Amino acid sequence: MSGRSESDRLKQESLLMRLVRRPEAGAFFVMVVVIVLVTIASNGNAINPLGIKNNLAIIAQFGIIATGAALLMIAGEFDLSIGSMIGFAGMSMAMMLKWGLPFGLGEATPASAFFITLAMTLSLGWLIGTIVVRSGLSSFIVTLAFLFGLRGTTEVAFRLINQSTQISGLPDFKQEYFFARIFGGESFGWFYDLWFALGGNLNRRDEQWVTGLDVRVVWWILIVLLAYIVLNRTQMGNWIFATGDNKESARANGVPVNKVKIGLFMFTAFCATIFAACQVFDTNTADAAKGNLKELEAIAIAVVGGTLMTGGFGSVIGVVFGAVTFGLVANAVFYIPWIDGSWYRVFVGVVLLAAVFANERIRKRITGGI
Amino acid sequence: MAKQPYLKVESIVKKFGPFTALNGVSLDVYPGEVHALLGDNGAGKSTLIKVLSGVHAPTSGQIHIEGKPVNFRSPRDASNAGIGTVYQDLAVNPLMSVTRNFFMGRELTSGPRPFGLLKMDEMDRITHDEMLKIGIDISDPQQAVGTMSGGQRQTLAIARAIYFGAKVLILDEPTSALGQKQQMEVLKTMMRVRARGDIAIIFITHNEIHSKLVADRFTFLALGQVIGAGTHKELEGEDIRRLMAGGAEIKDLERDLAEL
Repeated sequence: MSGRSESDRLKQESLLMRLVRRPEAGAFFVMVVVIVLVTIASNGNAINPLGIKNNLAIIAQFGIIATGAALLMIAGEFDLSIGSMIGFAGMSMAMMLKWGLPFGLGEATPASAFFITLAMTLSLGWLIGTIVVRSGLSSFIVTLAFLFGLRGTTEVAFRLINQSTQISGLPDFKQEYFFARIFGGESFGWFYDLWFALGGNLNRRDEQWVTGLDVRVVWWILIVLLAYIVLNRTQMGNWIFATGDNKESARANGVPVNKVKIGLFMFTAFCATIFAACQVFDTNTADAAKGNLKELEAIAIAVVGGTLMTGGFGSVIGVVFGAVTFGLVANAVFYIPWIDGSWYRVFVGVVLLAAVFANERIRKRITGGI
Repeated sequence: MAKQPYLKVESIVKKFGPFTALNGVSLDVYPGEVHALLGDNGAGKSTLIKVLSGVHAPTSGQIHIEGKPVNFRSPRDASNAGIGTVYQDLAVNPLMSVTRNFFMGRELTSGPRPFGLLKMDEMDRITHDEMLKIGIDISDPQQAVGTMSGGQRQTLAIARAIYFGAKVLILDEPTSALGQKQQMEVLKTMMRVRARGDIAIIFITHNEIHSKLVADRFTFLALGQVIGAGTHKELEGEDIRRLMAGGAEIKDLERDLAEL
């Protein structure tokens, strides 16, 4: 024996190589390229005070639902009902605010409308999860059923009660209710105040131009922090990885696989509800078509962020990079006048395909396959 | 032999409908010994393991642990009674780190379950120490299990079972899917566990050479029944081969082959 053991064959790598090999590296690289290109092509308009506000508004929207989708994918399941859940939750809140609480319980406040809606969406998430784990059917099919079912229910409920699939002209609850400002108000005012104090952030009359970011940016940050800590630092996180990697071995070691999955279906429903609440209280409108195709964008962002389609592996930070990338490209048409907005979808297609190939390489490297 | 068996199995019968998988199987398992359980495919080895690890309840018969009769209603009961089963697929997750696999489902946390924070440093240290005790020095407990060899994965599963209180280690064909060198690693691991003196190993195998290398005691199953048992001294080499083949004489086989 030469004193070598098999563990010696795993080479210790430098910090730089470790960073490059991280699953988020590809998403980070793509994000930097996109930021640079969009900034140059828009003559810097994409990162002026208003540009940052508008870009972060859509980035945060993407980020909120993609984080939920990513955790669920790491546990080995898909949720195609996210978009319809957004439409359903928005309809539910707006309808209560316009027509009052159900069963003649009187006027709705933003808080009561939100919490009753959240109770319904969490129940739906629980129901979807329970059907998936009890039946053993693919979550793709079960949530596809809810994609159609929830969207249809939303439209029917709108027409029955409201005679129209849109609600607009709700009172601006932000003026009166703190609770509405939690979802529709502004945040990071100090950042723009500081920018103004330092001589920037000026409009044409040399007054302060932008007063703050949409508060949904704070929701995005909170959800990302929560997801990051839960996934990487808690027992629950270990259970999520174990469930997605190899369900049977997780179960054999005492991981409550079914509860983990049901909990994550409820978490995606929670993210969809936050998305909808921010939209409703920001614009004071609702529309039965809201959230259409958002589930596919959420999954695409999760994959671009390094989440494996087969489960067991993924990164919350990578999903942040993915959300920034998708948000910037989706918004690019507003800052780059000569570009056709449909290039966004071409971009999504190309990046998605590239990401799937990159992720497959990562998976093979980790599992030692060829 | 004054020692008391840690695990005593008495006339276990297991029927699946009209099919009798086990027909009165008995065996004694002593701490600090390797008990080889041999038999051809379909002899009832897997069913016996499943009865011992609480997956199936026996139709009749009794299991004793340290002289006391026990009834396992679930794998968890068996695990709590100190029976640790390392299945062929090992129940490890290749994409997760060694530490995360080692503590899977039994994580050390501070704070309320299941959202308590992982004590990752402590778990890393314990994993490293436990793996070292059993003969593998992993340089980085955060490396993915997917990067480990089959023999190392086997060792991880064994170390995990022992750390979480297994007094009887059931190893289901631990060498069958491995290359030569890794088979030797696993056999060495078994001998290190045996040398501790407090753990009994039930070693299920097809391989008579391996069983002769490590086992103190043998039990041969054929068609759901024990057709031979004894210590290493009591059984001669030829006996082992004959019993392995389910009682068929190798000479008969030679004659049959010659006639073809």
